[in-house]
Amino acid sequence: MEILNYTEDHMKFRERVRSFFEQEVTPHVDEWEKSGITPKSIWKRMGQEGFLCTSVPREYGGMGADFLYSLILSEELVQTSHTGLAAPLHNDIVVPYITSFGSEELKKKYLPLCVSGDMISAIAMTEPNAGSDLASIQTTAEEDGNDVVINGQKTFISNGINCDLLIIAARDPSTSDAYSGMDLYVVEAGTKGFEKSKKLSKMGWQSQDTAELTFTDCRVPKGNRLGTKGCGFLMLMEKLQQERLLCCIIAVAGAERMLRDTLRACGEKVDFGKPITKLHNNRFKIVEMAAEVRLGRVFLDKLVADHMEGKSIVVDVSMAKFWTTEMAMRVADQCLELHGSYGYCEDNPMVRAWRDMRVLAIFAGTNEIMKGIAVKFMNL
Amino acid sequence: MDFNLTKEQADIQKAAREFARGEFDPDRILEWDRNQEFPVSIWKRACDLGFQGVHFPESYGGQGLELLDHALIIETFCRQDSGIGLAMALSDFGAEMVLAQGTDEQKRKVLPFTAQGKGLMTLAFLEEGYDLLTFQTISHKNGNGYVIQGKKSYVTLAGMAQHVLVVCQAESNGPEEQSIFLLTKDAKGIEQAGMGDRLGMRMIPMQAVSFHRVAVTGQDLVGQEGKGSSYLREFLNTARVEAGAAGVGIAQGAFDRALDYARKREQFGKAIITFDPIKNKLADMVTRVEMARGLVYRAATCLDQKRPEDRWTLLAKMTASKAALEVANDAIQIHGGYGYMTEGQVEHFYRDAKTLDLFMESGSIEKSMLADQIAGRV
Repeated sequence: MEILNYTEDHMKFRERVRSFFEQEVTPHVDEWEKSGITPKSIWKRMGQEGFLCTSVPREYGGMGADFLYSLILSEELVQTSHTGLAAPLHNDIVVPYITSFGSEELKKKYLPLCVSGDMISAIAMTEPNAGSDLASIQTTAEEDGNDVVINGQKTFISNGINCDLLIIAARDPSTSDAYSGMDLYVVEAGTKGFEKSKKLSKMGWQSQDTAELTFTDCRVPKGNRLGTKGCGFLMLMEKLQQERLLCCIIAVAGAERMLRDTLRACGEKVDFGKPITKLHNNRFKIVEMAAEVRLGRVFLDKLVADHMEGKSIVVDVSMAKFWTTEMAMRVADQCLELHGSYGYCEDNPMVRAWRDMRVLAIFAGTNEIMKGIAVKFMNL
Repeated sequence: MDFNLTKEQADIQKAAREFARGEFDPDRILEWDRNQEFPVSIWKRACDLGFQGVHFPESYGGQGLELLDHALIIETFCRQDSGIGLAMALSDFGAEMVLAQGTDEQKRKVLPFTAQGKGLMTLAFLEEGYDLLTFQTISHKNGNGYVIQGKKSYVTLAGMAQHVLVVCQAESNGPEEQSIFLLTKDAKGIEQAGMGDRLGMRMIPMQAVSFHRVAVTGQDLVGQEGKGSSYLREFLNTARVEAGAAGVGIAQGAFDRALDYARKREQFGKAIITFDPIKNKLADMVTRVEMARGLVYRAATCLDQKRPEDRWTLLAKMTASKAALEVANDAIQIHGGYGYMTEGQVEHFYRDAKTLDLFMESGSIEKSMLADQIAGRV
């Protein structure tokens, strides 16, 4: 009995995505890693192929597809040995805020453009002084007639440079309560006062245009607010579940890939007169890794199934996020170790994977925050 | 049993700390790491001030101090910056082999040269698929001399080093019989090729070095013909102590930064150091640092007391490089998103720690060497 039931259509979709990535993404990845950004043209190509925002309802240009399509796309993206083309962020994290909470007008205006790849999206929560403590954000959205005026600074924003459309979390300075004072607004790039102030240099995700964003008297219509006034924090709490699930997908698929590719490479490489994978003390280590990866996969697939059935996954996804991301880091560490000296050479694709994996334990809520959530829900 | 540093050792540590704090410029560090460039200016200053080769005898340009003193300097430099510290430690890679086995002439040629900042040296021993017992690089006997043929990989600073020690399989001898030669980099037949970018230890460029019928004389032989494997083993004991000291310094440096950040960073209205998970992480980090430091100092002391034991040097390097990796990993986590950014500095410590763990011989190989030793004694 399978945990997830893939149909013929799902499998065809996977094949199409895989072959598209092999032909149009993988060959350019090294170049994108160097330039620190992906070209907008590849996003447009993704849109043309129907790989963006598959979950958006048909009436807004999407496929109205289930979450397995998102899972497939994220898993296949892992195979491309880079993270810059952060389509899962656009498809399954940012755009769902508009689909779920946007007014009819916002949905009509933006969803088709997000599906076509004409607009790349990002979401800005974190600030220099507000990371884990999301409720303490200082960015303000002050009402002024029919507009709101946004002031503040956001950091570590993925797709920050490429984004055409940004969802920003800001607080109403007239409300003192941190939770009920928070709202989400849609801001278009190019709006006066919205500056993409700095592209950030980081250990991994080097093809991803993570940036710092600055807002100075940035004026947007009140109608750009998502959902009911004062519900920003609640919307974030709801949608962060799927965001964390995506971290688990990247972690598990990443660990599977690292193990598979390392076994392939080290099965051919000889050390002490034997293939590395056959050296006695390595064999147990490999089995241990394979067991962990397998546990991660079963946990993940079950979570995906629960999520698709609409069950609450808050506790499970918090546990899965810290466990799978730490597991992926352990696997990455061991894979480099098996490679010996070649484990520190950047032309070894496992080295990039090692650098890329590390952030999974930090973003979308650090692993400490994940444990804290589980503690709360388990009444400990 | 006295676990305290002597006054002299503490003074050396303090001087190294002041030097490192004063001279290791954070902007230049980012540049050197990014460009994979050896920090020549810092190295020259360190030599001028007498921080390099302190454990060489005074007659060979050193200060006649002990390996532990040298280890303290490496640790202290790595604590301030992992990249520079490792580059300083590897600027004279192989020197201790010349010190232990070289002729007076070889020592005069090499040791003052590196200690006084005139040039770098390196040791070429790793090969693809190497196992420390049999190398593919062979020294053929040729009249009174030898001809070297083969290829070495991961040779540190090969492009800059004036002197190169090369470990060869001695022709027509048993599998564990090796000979070691001291060459200059302009010897005819030596060719270098770049080895691409590295994850860490980026201030130490590495090359693959090919030897095409390189002719050497008996005077270039270090120690006796066919005894190379025991010299290499003896040298690796020293090198593990140096690498271990670097590991302790990296771990301590990552811890310093994490502690500082945890005190300053406020979330949920309080400094994050007040939260139990952060406090506990810091306690774990200190545990690892001190375990590693104890083993490294012990291993250094064993060598200084002329009681070389592979067991202690293996324990020291394994524990210290793992401590560096784990502590730097925790330091990143405490820094959150900032820890993943280049300017947060700890990611640089983390990359260097991972590379150190795989450098020379990986932690898992060290563990199996230790396991063989233990089982052998039963």
